[in-house]
Amino acid sequence: MDLENQARIKKFAEEFGAENLIVILGGAEAEAAGLAAETVSAGDPTYAGPLAGVSLGLAVYHVVEDEIKSECDAAVYEEQIGMMEMVLDVDAIKAEVSSIRKQYSKF
Amino acid sequence: MKKIRVVHYINQFYGQIGGEDKADIAPILKEGFVGPGMQINNLLQERGEIVATVICGDNYFNENLDEATETILEMIGQFNPDVVIAGPSFNAGRYGMACGAVCKAVSEKFNIPTVTGMYIESPGVDGYRKYTYIVDTANSAVGMRTALPAMVKLSLKLIDGVELGDPKEEGYIARGVRRNYFHAERGSKRAVDMLIAKMNNQPYVTEYPMPTFDRVAPNAQILDMSKATIALVTSGGIVPKGNPDHIESSSASKFGKYDIEGVTDLTDKTYETAHGGYDPIYANIDADRVLPVDVLRELEAEGVIGKLHRYFYTTVGNGTSVANAKKFAAAIGKELVEAKVDAVILTST
Repeated sequence: MDLENQARIKKFAEEFGAENLIVILGGAEAEAAGLAAETVSAGDPTYAGPLAGVSLGLAVYHVVEDEIKSECDAAVYEEQIGMMEMVLDVDAIKAEVSSIRKQYSKF
Repeated sequence: MKKIRVVHYINQFYGQIGGEDKADIAPILKEGFVGPGMQINNLLQERGEIVATVICGDNYFNENLDEATETILEMIGQFNPDVVIAGPSFNAGRYGMACGAVCKAVSEKFNIPTVTGMYIESPGVDGYRKYTYIVDTANSAVGMRTALPAMVKLSLKLIDGVELGDPKEEGYIARGVRRNYFHAERGSKRAVDMLIAKMNNQPYVTEYPMPTFDRVAPNAQILDMSKATIALVTSGGIVPKGNPDHIESSSASKFGKYDIEGVTDLTDKTYETAHGGYDPIYANIDADRVLPVDVLRELEAEGVIGKLHRYFYTTVGNGTSVANAKKFAAAIGKELVEAKVDAVILTST
């Protein structure tokens, strides 16, 4: 996750409280989504950004996960995400992000 | 026990200064750890600590090699370290070269161990494996979690004077050092065993890997340029505006071939770069800066060259694996030979 986005998320967590934030990811690959999920929960695993060593423990989901999908209007979801859902390796993304969430999310 | 003093070298990105737009910063010295140094400190526990971090922009280092090395040595020297750790740089080319050069210079000047980490295909590996210990890492920062413990473990062994075993077992890239030891079986038996395995298509491991020299013999000189067809090929990512074939900005999986018949100048309306590894502003304003179609058209008009080949070939060199690059080169080369192109101008970034 780039430095600016890490800084933004850190600022939001301070401003609104980590317990009031949920991060929804849109990364196209399981590995990249997992890295982003880890960054906002356990801290930046690459130690390059403002979240290095900062464990915000945020709740984090990928937009293709059922928890998010079920919250969305089905028609809007189909229009906005349907196409990507077909081309992405959804199972791998779900497995990766949920595993990170179980390990590091505190909320 | 005295605490081990570590100086850490990192680039502008891991130094949390910025990305490509900050790659031209001169060396900066900071006391204590920055970025990945945090985890190095955690791993060292009470054995040692990072006393200082030197941060340098990748472009600055590579464009001002002597001056940058001298400044960095001076910065490092002030802290009297027991070991210098650089990176890890994974598959980043310029960062890898910088890590290797810093390690080499430090071990030569201060006679202390140096450790860095790179992906096996990084150009820094070929350039510096002989001079430092390079931990074998993944090709991106995904591998940070495993690279840092390996680098710290190796650093501690080197400081403690523990005799290192086989590079593969120790997790670093072989430096080409030979050491005598007694094997349970004599050489002739081992050689015959290997031969039998090879004949039966069974796996075996050579005891003396041959170096691979990737040398390309130059073609014969072109005696009459005014009759020669010249092609342009680039790893600088120049593509028609909109990047129609979606060549990736990093780790390219393909190359593009584009018709430039009648094109005399690449403009910001018609061409751009897909490359994600350098500041694209100047290439986007005028793509001729990377792929000099305008100048070659002038030379064509003046009769200096016969003609510019109708197609140019392009890919993105950023993080692209050597294996993919070789594959592209073979395919592009075959087409150029078939099209009777006499010479190629290959531009980078």
